[in-house]
Amino acid sequence: MGPWFDYTVNGLVVGNIYALLAVGLALIFGVANLINFAHGSVFTVGAYLGWTALHYLHTPLPVTILLVAAGSAVVGVAIERFALRPLNHRSRIAPLLATIGVSLVLDQAVQLIFSPDPRALPSQLPDWRLPIGGVTIGALDLLIAGVGLTSAALLFGFLRFSKLGWAVRATAQDPDAASQMGVDTNRINAVVFAIASALGGVGGLLVGMFYNSIDTTMSFDATLKGMVAMLLGGLGNVPGAIAGGLILGLAESYGIALFGTSYRNLFAFALLILILMVAPNGLFSRRRELPPEPMTGTFVAPSRPLRLPRPALAAIVVVAALFPLVWNQPYVLQTLTNALLMALLAFSLTLVSGTVGQISLGHAGLLAIGGYASGLLALDHGWPFVASVPAAGLSTAILGTLMVLPALRMTGHYVAIATLGVGEIVSLVILNWTGLTRGPMGLSGIPIPAIGPIELDTPRALYWVVLVLVVLLGLLQVRLLSSHLGRTWRAIREDEVAARAYGVEPLRYKAMAFAFGGFGAGIAGAIAAHLYSYINHETFNTQLSILAITVVILGGLGNVLGAVLGAVLLVALPEIFRAAAEYRMLIYGIALLLLIRYRPQGLLGTI
Amino acid sequence: MSASPLLDLVGINSYYGPVQVHFDVSISVPEGKIVCLLGGNASGKSTAMKAILGLLTPRSGRVTFMGEDITGLPPPQIVRRGIASVPEARRLFPAMTVRENLMMGAYLRRDTESVAKDLTELLDRFPRLGERLTQRAGTLSGGEQQMVAMARALMSRPRLICMDEPTMGLSPLFVDRVLELIGDINRSGVSVFMVEQNASQALSIADSGYVLQTGRIVLSGAASALLSDPQIRHAYLGKTAA
Repeated sequence: MGPWFDYTVNGLVVGNIYALLAVGLALIFGVANLINFAHGSVFTVGAYLGWTALHYLHTPLPVTILLVAAGSAVVGVAIERFALRPLNHRSRIAPLLATIGVSLVLDQAVQLIFSPDPRALPSQLPDWRLPIGGVTIGALDLLIAGVGLTSAALLFGFLRFSKLGWAVRATAQDPDAASQMGVDTNRINAVVFAIASALGGVGGLLVGMFYNSIDTTMSFDATLKGMVAMLLGGLGNVPGAIAGGLILGLAESYGIALFGTSYRNLFAFALLILILMVAPNGLFSRRRELPPEPMTGTFVAPSRPLRLPRPALAAIVVVAALFPLVWNQPYVLQTLTNALLMALLAFSLTLVSGTVGQISLGHAGLLAIGGYASGLLALDHGWPFVASVPAAGLSTAILGTLMVLPALRMTGHYVAIATLGVGEIVSLVILNWTGLTRGPMGLSGIPIPAIGPIELDTPRALYWVVLVLVVLLGLLQVRLLSSHLGRTWRAIREDEVAARAYGVEPLRYKAMAFAFGGFGAGIAGAIAAHLYSYINHETFNTQLSILAITVVILGGLGNVLGAVLGAVLLVALPEIFRAAAEYRMLIYGIALLLLIRYRPQGLLGTI
Repeated sequence: MSASPLLDLVGINSYYGPVQVHFDVSISVPEGKIVCLLGGNASGKSTAMKAILGLLTPRSGRVTFMGEDITGLPPPQIVRRGIASVPEARRLFPAMTVRENLMMGAYLRRDTESVAKDLTELLDRFPRLGERLTQRAGTLSGGEQQMVAMARALMSRPRLICMDEPTMGLSPLFVDRVLELIGDINRSGVSVFMVEQNASQALSIADSGYVLQTGRIVLSGAASALLSDPQIRHAYLGKTAA
């Protein structure tokens, strides 16, 4: 008893919240075959709706809960109707990316309305605790458990005994057959989004009350935890999701007790990767019940890419090279350098996600590895810039490939989730491996780039160095794409089974793509580290990974020139119009949504 | 065929993307009859079914049901008008119980009491299903699943049932049983349109038939006439022309 009992209670309470999230994700996955990355944003919206109701309307708790449920349900229905339904007949990765766009828009909207500062969300409940053999359980703990149990029971009854519930299950099992029974599957989707979002929103309210604090960064964490809990129970398995939530809550609680809070998320993600590797159908599926997922990597039919004639390309490079002579303004050049570094990352991502069709949501992790490798080599071992940067590229290629190796066997959604997890794990390992990485302090005083005795201390010189790298790596990648290797990569993307039937070993080729991509991304991270002179575990975060995927889609998946164009447009333009800085994520989110809907082949077309 | 038929497909041209699947296909199902559509693989049989059920909108041509144009209506609207379907490979909801599957057939009906009555009646007709009511549909044998699919279609009280290869993958014993049931269903006043590869057996219970070949109707007529047609015998019954 004693502290362990407290950890158990705490774990179950938090686990109940995870279960609320996971159940919603499982319901949505069931009928829409989609991992809803906007789920955590609805959770945040729910928390802020609750805060608004309490703060301005002084509603009593039951009314607040109902208001939050209703408001979140409306948000959920709107997401389904306006962001997802138009994509009904697209491949499944398109709606997944759309939910990422929605989450950016919702998060930024909440931030603009309520400011990013955390707010207190008092629990309103009497400060009363139930003593049980030396320890106590609070009223809020009981409320959370009660809400969790009640919603699970209601949901069970709904799915099992109501006609609409049958229609939900029928749609999840076979949407075509359900519609031949007269089920309006669009309406079922809307119903499911409403229920899932109501549960998620109430979860947000309860978490806010539990910690007596809400802020706009809760979303991402909520999505991830809900996703891990759902995967534990098995994709789309509703009862499994409840169990998964409780297991995750307990595992975290005990883990924190043993190792400390900074390990909290590391547990969740390690569990995620482990589940994906050993039991991708969850802990409770007796056998492989899920039909193999069809290819989801390619989400655009190959379009006719815009091909610039060589002289035009050469002219662009010359103009880019001469640009600093004409307009030598440090701020503009720094911005363009940042855009070019993004282009290097985008080369890597467009190769992996566009050419080979493995959607990676953790690509910024590669930048982090490169940045830390070069930074540490320079700081601790005195390596010169010209040596530490290529070394960083190599180590990123090796480490990055090793880390995604388990993900390479997976397809579709699983790759996206696994890479997301790997990206987070990189950042968490950096945070916790204090002996090597200096932990939360980060690396400071990383020397400025220098080639031999010449310090590249002007924005102009740096710009040129990065430009040369972009041109060289870009040409190399274009060359690779038209080689035997490039054709094999595309064959794997188009039809992995067919490629295998022709003797292609997909794992090896996917690993080669990650290695080549990792090299470029590592170099980009290394240069960025020297450029910023300070980096920490949050410098290269998942937001950056999401931005990278937007850049790549904007340019056209697989399109090397498109990667440069996308990077310049999305990184440099908002920076130049600085007034828009606080709307930047909103712009990214809307850009992503519009692109997926109206121009999935990107500006320059897919290759 | 003087009165206007129950279901009428007139000059249907359908496409999958750029590929044309049907060329001016016209089919009539008169009230109270069994009509079968025969054809080999990729002849466009199942696509014809999809055009009727609203799963695919033909580029030109008309589908009318009881004199009303239903071309391009969404599937629920078509079910509401009295067309039920027994899809290819049955397509039961495998994780739902037999009872829940049957109730899904009555999804659009609001008359709860007569739904319950219909269910009891159906269970008298398919006693085997009564024993399996609480079992998951996915655990039944192929023949039993076919029974559930047919009973599920009847639960909507349809005027017309469309069946896509109802005997596919069944043991010979069950094939006879299913054909017998189709005859029963028809005698109870429900018209039947069925798509089949198994020509001789389909024609043995049908009133009339059509033969579809690479998207065109190449032959049609009364079932008895088709059964003795040398072309049919040669192409579909595996017998050389007499």
